[in-house]
Amino acid sequence: MKISFAKAALPTEGALVVGILENRELTATARLIDEQTGGLIARAMAGSRFEGKKDQSLLLQAPAGLPAQRLLLLGLGKSQSFDVLAAQAFGGNALAHLQAAGDHIVTLAVDGIEGAPTGAADLAAHAAFGAKLRSYRFDKYRTKEKKEDKPSVKKLVVTLAEPAAAKRLFAPLEGISEGVFLTRDLASEPANVIYPESLATQAKALSDLGVEIEVLGEKQMRKLGMGALLGVGQGSERESQLVVMRWMGAGDDSQAPVAFIGKGVTFDSGGISIKPAGGMEDMKWDMGGSAVVIGLMKALALRKAKVNVVGVVGLVENMPSGTAQRPGDVVTTMSGQTVEVINTDAEGRLVLADALWYTQDRFKPRIMVDLATLTGAIIISLGDHYAGLFANDDDLAAKLLAAGKSSGEPLWRMPLDDPYDKQIKSEIADMKNTGGREGGSITAAMFLKRFVKDTKWAHLDIAGVTWAKKDGPVTPKGATAFGVRLLDRLVAENYEQK
Amino acid sequence: MLTIGFSATAGTGARAVGIRPDEELLPSARAADAETGVIGCVLAGKHHFGGDDDDVLPVCTPSGWLVLVGMGPEAGQDGRRLRRIGGNLFAELAESGIEHLDVVLDLSPAEAAELAYGMRLRAWRPPARYKSKVDPDEAWSFVSASIVTSDPAAASAHFARLAPCADGVALARDLVVAPANELTPSHFIERLELLREQGVTCDVFDPLEHDLGLLQAVGQGSIHRPRLAVLRWSGRRRRTSPIALVGKGVTFDSGGLGIKPSEDMEEMKGDMAGAAAVVGALYALAARRAPVEVIGVLALTENMPSGSSCRPGDVVSSHAGLSVEIVDTDAEGRLILADALSFTASRYRPRQIIDLATLTGAVEVALGRHRAGLFCTDDVLAERLMAIGEAEDEPLWRLPLTEAYDEDLKSPVADLRNCGPDDDGPDALHAARFLQHFVPRAIPWAHLDIAGLSEAEEDGPLAAEGPTGFGVRLLDHLVADLFARIE
Repeated sequence: MKISFAKAALPTEGALVVGILENRELTATARLIDEQTGGLIARAMAGSRFEGKKDQSLLLQAPAGLPAQRLLLLGLGKSQSFDVLAAQAFGGNALAHLQAAGDHIVTLAVDGIEGAPTGAADLAAHAAFGAKLRSYRFDKYRTKEKKEDKPSVKKLVVTLAEPAAAKRLFAPLEGISEGVFLTRDLASEPANVIYPESLATQAKALSDLGVEIEVLGEKQMRKLGMGALLGVGQGSERESQLVVMRWMGAGDDSQAPVAFIGKGVTFDSGGISIKPAGGMEDMKWDMGGSAVVIGLMKALALRKAKVNVVGVVGLVENMPSGTAQRPGDVVTTMSGQTVEVINTDAEGRLVLADALWYTQDRFKPRIMVDLATLTGAIIISLGDHYAGLFANDDDLAAKLLAAGKSSGEPLWRMPLDDPYDKQIKSEIADMKNTGGREGGSITAAMFLKRFVKDTKWAHLDIAGVTWAKKDGPVTPKGATAFGVRLLDRLVAENYEQK
Repeated sequence: MLTIGFSATAGTGARAVGIRPDEELLPSARAADAETGVIGCVLAGKHHFGGDDDDVLPVCTPSGWLVLVGMGPEAGQDGRRLRRIGGNLFAELAESGIEHLDVVLDLSPAEAAELAYGMRLRAWRPPARYKSKVDPDEAWSFVSASIVTSDPAAASAHFARLAPCADGVALARDLVVAPANELTPSHFIERLELLREQGVTCDVFDPLEHDLGLLQAVGQGSIHRPRLAVLRWSGRRRRTSPIALVGKGVTFDSGGLGIKPSEDMEEMKGDMAGAAAVVGALYALAARRAPVEVIGVLALTENMPSGSSCRPGDVVSSHAGLSVEIVDTDAEGRLILADALSFTASRYRPRQIIDLATLTGAVEVALGRHRAGLFCTDDVLAERLMAIGEAEDEPLWRLPLTEAYDEDLKSPVADLRNCGPDDDGPDALHAARFLQHFVPRAIPWAHLDIAGLSEAEEDGPLAAEGPTGFGVRLLDHLVADLFARIE
C-alpha cells in the first residue's frame, strides 16, 4: 500500500474517510461535503446511532452528490483527547473498514481540530502511520487465497491543508513501520524457517542500512564461557548464535551506547521439561524479544537516529533430545556464576543471563533494556494489555513508563525486591533457574538482576503482549511487535541528540 | 503469654546486650564484657555473629545467660527495625529455658516500646485449646521481659498506644487459625463480643432481608446462614462520616460446586482473613480509644457444595441492582464483597472504603508472598497506603484497575460475569475491576488482595509460620492517619 499526502480536496474515486467529533460535530471536510451535497452527512447521522464517539463508524455507499464510491464517517471522540495515538487509531480503523471493500484508493481527510493536543500535519502523519501499521498481513504461505479475501486498497491518500509538512513528519514514522513489519514477519515465521542461523541472516541484512553486524557461533561463545546460553541450545541440531548489531548514529563513536537485548528462542518446546502439546505452536514466537530488537535497529537506522545503539540477541532452539540439557544440570555462565537448571523450560533467563553479561562487559552501555517473552506468570499478573516492567533504576523506569504512554505500548512496573531473591537459592549452585509459581515473573527478573552489575537496567516481560488474539486499532491479530515503537520513543525522547 | 515491663535498671538474671556490625559494642555490652570478657571471646571466635539486626546469640557465662543481640548499624535504627529485633529476640528465646530476660540495649523510651511491640507481635501461637496436651519441650519458657530505658514511664505510655494493635493482630490470627467447624458465620459474630466490650457496636443483617442477593447465593449451599455484620467505633466527640473497612469472610471455601482439588483444601478455613483483619483493626482502634469514626463490614458465609448450592451459570441480582452470571462458584469472594461494598456505600455514605480479601490465586502468581496487591481509584489514597505499608512492614504493590479487560467480564445473559474466560487470564485484575462496578465513583476506594500474605509459609521476625494478621497494622495506621489529617 502506497501512502501519499495531498492538498485537501474531495476525491473523484475510491473511498473517502472523514472524521466526526463527539456530539456530531463536523470537521472541516465534513462541512464541505454537507455544503456540496445539501446536508448528506447530517441526514445520514440523523437516521443512525452514530454520535461521533470514539470508535463509532457509519459507512455510506454511493453517497449522492459525491464522486467517491463510499463515504466512511469515523467517530473521533472529544477534540481535546484527539492526540497522535487517537489519530493512529483513526487511520488504522479507517483502513480496517475499507481494506477489503473493493476500493483501490482510500482518501483520508485529516483536518485541523480546534482544541486538539497537536496540529493537522502531525495528526495526518500519525493517521497515515496508523493505517500503515494496520495494513500489515502475513500471507506469504497462503497459496490459494481468493481475490475477494485479499486487501484491495493499493493507495492511501491523506489530504490536509499542508501536505508537505505531514510528509516530512511521516518519513521517520514510515521507518518505524518498516521496523515493526520486520519484527512481525520474524515472529510470524514458522520455526522450520526461522531458526538461529536463519534469524542471524535476517539480522545481517541490516548491514545494507549501515548497521554493523557481528555473529558469534557456538565456538566463540564457548570461548567466552557462555555456558548458560549454550546449555539451552545443546539439545537442538541448529547451532546457537549471538548477534551483535551496532548503529553508530551519534557521530561520536566514543559515546557509550544504549543497549537492547532480546531473547531469541526460535522454538521453545520446553526441552526435556517438555510443554503440553496444546498451544505449543505458539512457541515459534518465543523469539519475540529478539525480533523487537532487530526491528528496532532497522527503525533507528532507517530514520537515521542520532544515537549510538547496540542490539544483542541470543538465538537458540530449545529441544528435547539425547544431547539436551537435563533438569538438575549445573551450568557456568559467562559471569562465572553457576546455575542449577531445575526446569529446562525456564530457558529464556539462561539465554539472557549470558547476553546481558556480554553486553555490559563489552560495551559498558549507558543503559540496558532487555525484552523477553519470559514468563506465563506475567500473563496471569497483567493480562495482554500491559507488559511487565522491572528496573533497578527509578529514573529509567519513569522514562520507560512515559515512552509506553506516548507510544501506546503501555508498561506496568512490577517489584524487584530482595525478599524475592531467596526463592531462587539452589542447594548446590549459586542459584536455580526457577523460583516456583508464586511471584514467577518477579523471581525471573531477580534471576536476571544477578547478571547486571552497576548498569542502569530494565527488563520487559512481553509474554502477554507479543501475540494478539484479536485485532487492535493499529495491530492486526497476530504478531504485534510490541516494543519497537516503545523503545524508539524511549531513544528519541531521552538519548538522541537534538 | 509474654509479660513485658520497662525499668531503669537491670536485674541480675539473664540479660540481653546490643552489638552493632564491625564488633561495635553498645555501652551496655561494653559493661557486660568488662564483667565477663565473654563478648570479646565470642567475636574473636567467629561464631557467625555479625551484629546484623537478625543476629541473636545466647551465651552461657559464669554469671548466667548473656544474650548478644545484633542491632544493625546506628544509621537507620528506626521503629521498624527495633520491632524486628524484638521479634527475633523473642523467637530465639521462646523455648530456650530462659524465663525472664532483662533487655539492656541502650534504648530511648520510644525505642524500648517499639522493641516491646515487636516481641508482642511475635509472641503469638494458636490457642492451646485445640490440643489436649502440650508437649513440654514446645511450651514457651520465656514469659517475662523487662526492657531497660532511661524513662520507664514514658516507655510504658508509648507502649500503651502500640499494645492494643498487637492485641488486634493476635485476635485476627486467632480467627484465621480457628477451624471452620468452630468458626461458622454465626460463631464469628459471637466472637465479636470482645469488641462490644471495648465500646464497638455491632449490627447483623440477614442477606434475605436486605437484598444482598450475591451473599445469599454464595451462602445458600451451607446449613450455616450467611450474615453481614457491621461494626462501628465512634471515637470522636461528634459522629461524622466514617471510613469503611470491608472484609471478605468466607469461613470455609470448598469452592462450592466448582469444588477445589482436595490437596491443601484445609487452608481454606483461612479464607476469612480479610474479615479477621478488619476485626483486628477495629479492636485496636477501639481499645486505644482512637479519635476516629470507622465501620467494619464483614461479609460472612460458608461456600459449600450441596443440593441447595448455587450452580455455575446461575444469574443473581446483586444489592446494587446489577445482575451477575456466576460462571465460577469458586470466585465467590468478589460476589460477597460486591454486595458488601454497595450496601456499605449506600447505607453509611463513608468518606473512603478499603476492602481486604484473600481473593485470588492470581495475585500470588503476580506478587508472591511479600507484597499484597493494591487496586485503588484514588492516587492520593494509594500513595498513602503504599507508604504506610512500608512503614508497618506490610508492603503493597499497586496493580492496574483498567477498562482494558472489561470485555472479559461481559456476559451474554447478565450485566456481568464473575470471571474472565481464560483460566490463565489476569484474574486478580478481573476481580478488582468486577468490584469497581459496585463502588460509587465519588467514594475513593482501595481493594487489597491479600491472598499471598494472610498466612506465612515460614517464620518471620513479626510472625511465625501460620496466620500473620496481615492488614491490621496497616488499617489501624491508615485510619488514624486519615483522621489526624482531618483535624
